[in-house]
Amino acid sequence: MSSFEVPSQITIHHEPAPNTKRIWRAFWILSVVTLGELALGLSIYNIHKGPNPSEMMVLFFKGVICILTLAKGYYIAWVFMHMGDESKLFRRSIVVPLLLFIWFIIAFLHDGNAYREARDSNAGEFKVIKNDVPAAVLERGQKD
Amino acid sequence: MASGSLPAGIKWWSGGKSPYNVNYGKIMMWYFLVSDSFTFGAFLISYGSTRLGSDYWPDPNHVFNSFPFMGHANLPLAFVSLMTFILIFSSVTMVLAVHEGHKMNRKGVEKYMIMTIIGGLAFLSCQAWEWTHLLTGSHSVLVDGKVEHWATTITKNPFGPMVEHAGQLVATPGPQLFGGFFFFITGFHGFHVFSGLIINIIMYIKTRLGHFDQRGHYEMVEKAGLYWHFVDLVWVFVFLAFYLI
Amino acid sequence: MSSVASLHESELQHAGHDAQHEHHQQSFLTKYIFSQDHKTIAKQFLITGIIWAIVGALFSVLFRLQLGFPESSFPILEDILGKWAPGGKISPDFYYALVTMHGTILVFFVLTAGLSGTFANFLIPLQIGARDMASPFLNMLSYWFFFIGSIIMATSLFIQTGPASGGWTIYPPLSALSDAALGSVRGMDLWIISMAFFIISQLMGGLNYVSTVLNLRTKGMTMTRMPLTVWSLFFTAILGILSFPVLLSCVVLLFCDRNLGTSFYLSDIIIAGKVLPHEGGSPILFQHLFWFLGHPEVYIVVLPAMGLASEVISVNARKPIFGYVAMISSMLAIVALSLIVWAHHMFVSGMNPFLGAGFILFTLLIAVPSAIKVFNWLTTLWRGNIRFTPAMLFAIGFVSMFISGGLTGIFLGNAALDIQLHDTYFNIAHFHLVMGVAAFFSMFAGLYQWFPKMFGRFMNNTLGYIHFWITMVGAYLIFWPMHYSGLAGMPRRYYDYSNWESFKQFGGMNKFISIVVIIVFITQLMFVFNFFYSIWKGRKVREANPWDATTLEWTTPIRPGHGNWPGELPEVHRWPYDYSKDGKEFISQITPVGEEETGPHH
Ligand code: HEM
Ligand SMILES: [Cu+2]
Repeated sequence: MSSFEVPSQITIHHEPAPNTKRIWRAFWILSVVTLGELALGLSIYNIHKGPNPSEMMVLFFKGVICILTLAKGYYIAWVFMHMGDESKLFRRSIVVPLLLFIWFIIAFLHDGNAYREARDSNAGEFKVIKNDVPAAVLERGQKD
Repeated sequence: MASGSLPAGIKWWSGGKSPYNVNYGKIMMWYFLVSDSFTFGAFLISYGSTRLGSDYWPDPNHVFNSFPFMGHANLPLAFVSLMTFILIFSSVTMVLAVHEGHKMNRKGVEKYMIMTIIGGLAFLSCQAWEWTHLLTGSHSVLVDGKVEHWATTITKNPFGPMVEHAGQLVATPGPQLFGGFFFFITGFHGFHVFSGLIINIIMYIKTRLGHFDQRGHYEMVEKAGLYWHFVDLVWVFVFLAFYLI
Repeated sequence: MSSVASLHESELQHAGHDAQHEHHQQSFLTKYIFSQDHKTIAKQFLITGIIWAIVGALFSVLFRLQLGFPESSFPILEDILGKWAPGGKISPDFYYALVTMHGTILVFFVLTAGLSGTFANFLIPLQIGARDMASPFLNMLSYWFFFIGSIIMATSLFIQTGPASGGWTIYPPLSALSDAALGSVRGMDLWIISMAFFIISQLMGGLNYVSTVLNLRTKGMTMTRMPLTVWSLFFTAILGILSFPVLLSCVVLLFCDRNLGTSFYLSDIIIAGKVLPHEGGSPILFQHLFWFLGHPEVYIVVLPAMGLASEVISVNARKPIFGYVAMISSMLAIVALSLIVWAHHMFVSGMNPFLGAGFILFTLLIAVPSAIKVFNWLTTLWRGNIRFTPAMLFAIGFVSMFISGGLTGIFLGNAALDIQLHDTYFNIAHFHLVMGVAAFFSMFAGLYQWFPKMFGRFMNNTLGYIHFWITMVGAYLIFWPMHYSGLAGMPRRYYDYSNWESFKQFGGMNKFISIVVIIVFITQLMFVFNFFYSIWKGRKVREANPWDATTLEWTTPIRPGHGNWPGELPEVHRWPYDYSKDGKEFISQITPVGEEETGPHH
């Protein structure tokens, strides 16, 4: 085995944070945001249960929940994972690749939706295949 | 909020040192987490794509509405919120352990590591209960004109659209992939929690044995912490995708 | 800070001396097998890659026999392959297994692990002035995970139902249902498991390369003083870190569909008259996930090739590389774009055509950075004082192949044209020229160039020239005609074209291609012979810097030990492309900038 350690290349040690105030503050923020999400989630549930659910309203609430979740992610990464204490370029080198998710999500969700629309517009033909298997196919199956 | 910037007056990119002033181990851990977030991201986005591609998707509030020892009470979101809090709290104790590590306080690290480990165990127990509950549940479903009783499994879903049958409203089979994605993604996350737990236990033992005191720093604990927070971070998104929207 | 820094300095020197002493006491096991020396690991990747390359190429010879001579039979095949070639004629099932394994092996095991595994390990520490990788241990594991993956894939070749046979892209439902094909019975499971090991290996390697490049550059080695090889391997590692995990997700879901009864990719399927219970999934989802890796993967293959070619061209043209910064920024652009164009492989899959329009736009944008690179290579060659070594010839060959194959990419990138061209031989011609042959050419260029550093001996030049000319002419003879049959609509992945009236006209051409394939294959065996013969019997390297190159690897001893530099690490004072400057042939990176020296100083 090699007899030397590759040096760790730390030049300056991070100053330890003076106290834990920041951590607890993040904890309270996370808790409150989660409670907010819960409230919104339950109101979606109640909208659905109500007489004529407004899809717009539901969508709006869901959008707000997504934004709140991103905020939670930010606090976990920035405070708990100490990302806020890292150098700017290091932070960017982590965050910039994650921007890829924008196109990743748009493309996949768009295509999932399009798949359903395409299928439903041919719904008639689809049923035929499912319910009675064409005779020719059945015949071949029996021969095999 | 303290925003990190490197001390000025040093040419950080000129070679011979880390341009971020970060040890290679921590760099690797961070970039590994970026990479792992693509694994999870791919799962969650596939779930989204499939859900939008399905004609019908059950309301999670109907599926996840029970709480241990509460019988048939309808408590949507309650149990999973408890799980979320457990995980967030274990994240707090983890970061406190890292904080004690910075101060080279072994006793402090030990205390908070134990709390984190307990938090992890609690989370896994909750998940075990939730899975058992779904897998052993029994819901009436109308299959081929007959009423059957189904649990939620990776291939079966009893929460499809309601229809009238013999004067009563009965559910029809729902999308199979509901369970497929749910068990798969929470299972994959649970596997991460489990491995994080093992790592934390190892860190705890190493702390007790005084390995980090000898080394002069608690960076290993910090790296384990990054992993643990990541598990928490992923859960936030799993919570969003499966339970909230 | 300075006290810490100087402490490191002495630590490093100390380490260097240790490395020299310890050199003699290592056992065979730690020196050659479980070595943590990046140079040895590079050779492990290389030799495993060569073995796989022979296997993969042999497979192509076998299926070309079928394509070129569909009416003939070769009794010897039955002797060797048994039931896979009844009566000396390759069976359809085996044909598909061969095609699938050929693609898998060459794309992943040879051109990914074999190419960047070899050169990233070998060149990164040597060219940035580091003693080893950031984590030599993970580096070793990276090789051994690749090895385990290799063994599993090799095992799948010998099981009763044969290896995976659904194409290297393993599209479900073919790959998901064991009733669908022989290779989908068990071979597919082994394929997935093997690939999981491979992905882990790639991640460990990639994380290591990235943190090494960031943290372990020697003093004075700023990012913009790194050779383009290091840049390209750095970008390759980033691409791998971001895209391989998605392949993992993709195949793990496939594994569940195969073994746990889920239906992530399956819906409404009837096999042999039986309606399967799978419902609700979408095979298009699989394609999205697969190509999310699949497209970056092709750049994972070609980026290191670009880096190697750039370096070899500059050294042997005795000229600074033209547009160093443009080279780097175009690589960065390629990395960014290649992550968002994946669905250009899916224009005719049933994907939403409006979404496709977005993908056309991004796809065609890639042509811009690609063209910048091509023009920069050509300008570097322009009026250079060119030394036509085998390495240089192969690097020029790379540029030629990349142009020929890249141009057809622009055809394919237009959805309207792709309706006709998709899954035809036009596509085969495109990606073999731009990726397959081009990357191999660069790999050969790299091997001829750095063989002296790897083994302390030269490869035989005459054999090298023969190798180059036959391969160059052969590659064009094989793939150029495929454009025509592809335009005529000849689909890929058919077992036998002689049954179609419209493809009968290509019978003679197919025969011709197959004959050339055999000749080229034999030439590659000659290269392998040259390689191994030269390791032990080649002409010895007598001077530390045989190519008069500027980069750091040539400042090490002829056969560097673990730790690379016996004394202190070298300090860098300039960029790596000071060729023909101020009347000097070349100026090494470790030479301080002189008083009288003309600018610009990089
Ligand atoms: C000018 C830039 C390029 C463009 C616009 C382009 C476009 C395309 C398109 C649209 C396809 C899909 C064809 C089809 O399936 O119908 C394709 C296939 C392919 N391309 Fe490219 N390409 C480019 C460069 C490259 C490069 C540089 C590589 C590799 C290093 C590459 C490797 C491949 C491979 C491997 C396939 C076929 C995959 C398969 O179906 O098995 N391409 N290309
Ligand atoms: Cu592509």
